[in-house]
Amino acid sequence: MESLLGSLFSAIGVLLPFDFAEPLFMKRAILAMLFVAPAAAAVGVPLVHFRMAFFSDAIGHSAFTGVAIGVLLGVHPLLTMVAFGLFVAWAIVLVKGRTELSSDTVIGVFFSTVIALGVAVISAQKGLTRNLQAYLYGDLLAVSEVELLWMGILLLAVFAYLLFAFNKIMLVGIHEGFAKSMGVPVRALEISFALVVALVVTTAIRAVGILLVTALLVVPAAAARNVARGAASAFWAAAVIAVASGLLGIAASYYLDTATGATVVLVAAAFFVVTALGREMFRR
Amino acid sequence: MILSDINADIRCGEVTALVGPNGAGKTTLLLAILGLVPCTGEIRFCRSAEHGEGAPRIGYVPQRLDFDRNAPMTVQDFFALSSQRYPVVFGHSAKSRRSARESMARVGAGHLISRPLGRLSGGELQRVLLALALRDNPDILLLDEPVSGVDLSGEELFGDFLGQIHSESRFSLLLVSHDLSVVGRHADRVICLNRRIVCQGATTETLTPENIAAMYGSDAHLFRHAPADGHGHTHDPPAAGRDERKRD
Repeated sequence: MESLLGSLFSAIGVLLPFDFAEPLFMKRAILAMLFVAPAAAAVGVPLVHFRMAFFSDAIGHSAFTGVAIGVLLGVHPLLTMVAFGLFVAWAIVLVKGRTELSSDTVIGVFFSTVIALGVAVISAQKGLTRNLQAYLYGDLLAVSEVELLWMGILLLAVFAYLLFAFNKIMLVGIHEGFAKSMGVPVRALEISFALVVALVVTTAIRAVGILLVTALLVVPAAAARNVARGAASAFWAAAVIAVASGLLGIAASYYLDTATGATVVLVAAAFFVVTALGREMFRR
Repeated sequence: MILSDINADIRCGEVTALVGPNGAGKTTLLLAILGLVPCTGEIRFCRSAEHGEGAPRIGYVPQRLDFDRNAPMTVQDFFALSSQRYPVVFGHSAKSRRSARESMARVGAGHLISRPLGRLSGGELQRVLLALALRDNPDILLLDEPVSGVDLSGEELFGDFLGQIHSESRFSLLLVSHDLSVVGRHADRVICLNRRIVCQGATTETLTPENIAAMYGSDAHLFRHAPADGHGHTHDPPAAGRDERKRD
């Protein structure tokens, strides 16, 4: 494992022969971004199609509680954050299926509950607030090698899942009944997709933080819509925009001395603005 | 409870029309047949061995698609989503391209194939849905007709191609219709629904003024008496006006 990461680091050194990519912590940050950004964008395309941006935000904010539980129990917050995110995703899908309430109302209830629970636990524990900073804004430059491996595995898992489920998810996003008549197991897909989103969101929090994590999923997919006509071009455009935003954002944050996660999201937002303007001009 | 006491036969190879006022549960019944809404009781498909085995293939044309009109997805993508194993992001398989071309030509809409789904008119979208539903040669086609005037009407659908396709393929067609003149002309049998089955049977015997009044309830009643209210026009809600059109 060490040697695998080592060779990836030297590959980054060769491919990015710039100042900012020289320190080891920067190499780690770049590799983390190369793992997380494509996974987030790949999940982001069906997520936007499904109009689930709010869902992903709710999962992101469940990290408040997830981290607090981890610190309370004395286990690594990453573990409890991911586990709690999965739990909230599952609970939202379960409740949504059993009530007449609209999905944004259900998500809204969970959204505020998980934040309130997290804040309550954290406020009761002196000294926990400092811990939380890294999760609020992300801490890409402090990513550990274990976390890197986890992110790499996540990327592979997400692509394996999408290889199997992408078409079916898109079909469900167009019309549930229609998808069902085509033999798609709608319910199983909804649940599995929600869990995959939760995995990606909670992992990506390490990179850009709770407040910005949804942007990593939604903004590249939204920008891709400005340039793409078909499903294939939308997917690949989102992946390219995500990786480009990640690398440019890390580089810019190094030279400007700004927070890495925020800079990455700003670059992605710039991609959105430019593609949106291009679309408007192209239309005329 | 939306529907109760539903006991009906849909016969092989026939056109069965499902009629009833708004909120009667017509779409819900289709969804129940598809297994999308929970229901008690039994839905049984009977067929002899020569017509194939196992669960029947059900084609479904929803009333409308409530999807994101901005979605980057072409008609060809839409076909490929359900006809190829690998993700459409890696392109379309030759098989999915061929079946899309053939199916779209069948409904007279071959020219739409590379258009984005979100840019289609209601009528065009309905043709796409019908082409997709017919692609796999269904045993049963469930067609939820949109309220006429907005999209392609049942009359146009039948006049253009549905009647011909049906006479070629002989699937069982269960049609939700809002236009009783279409039903009168094209359906073999009618099921009148208003939260329960009001009446059912052969079209000519079932679509009587009494049954229509019973099914549409006070709306139809109101309208019948409206011309006699003394000043030559009606004060009925628009729904009643639509019912009058259905009755002629």
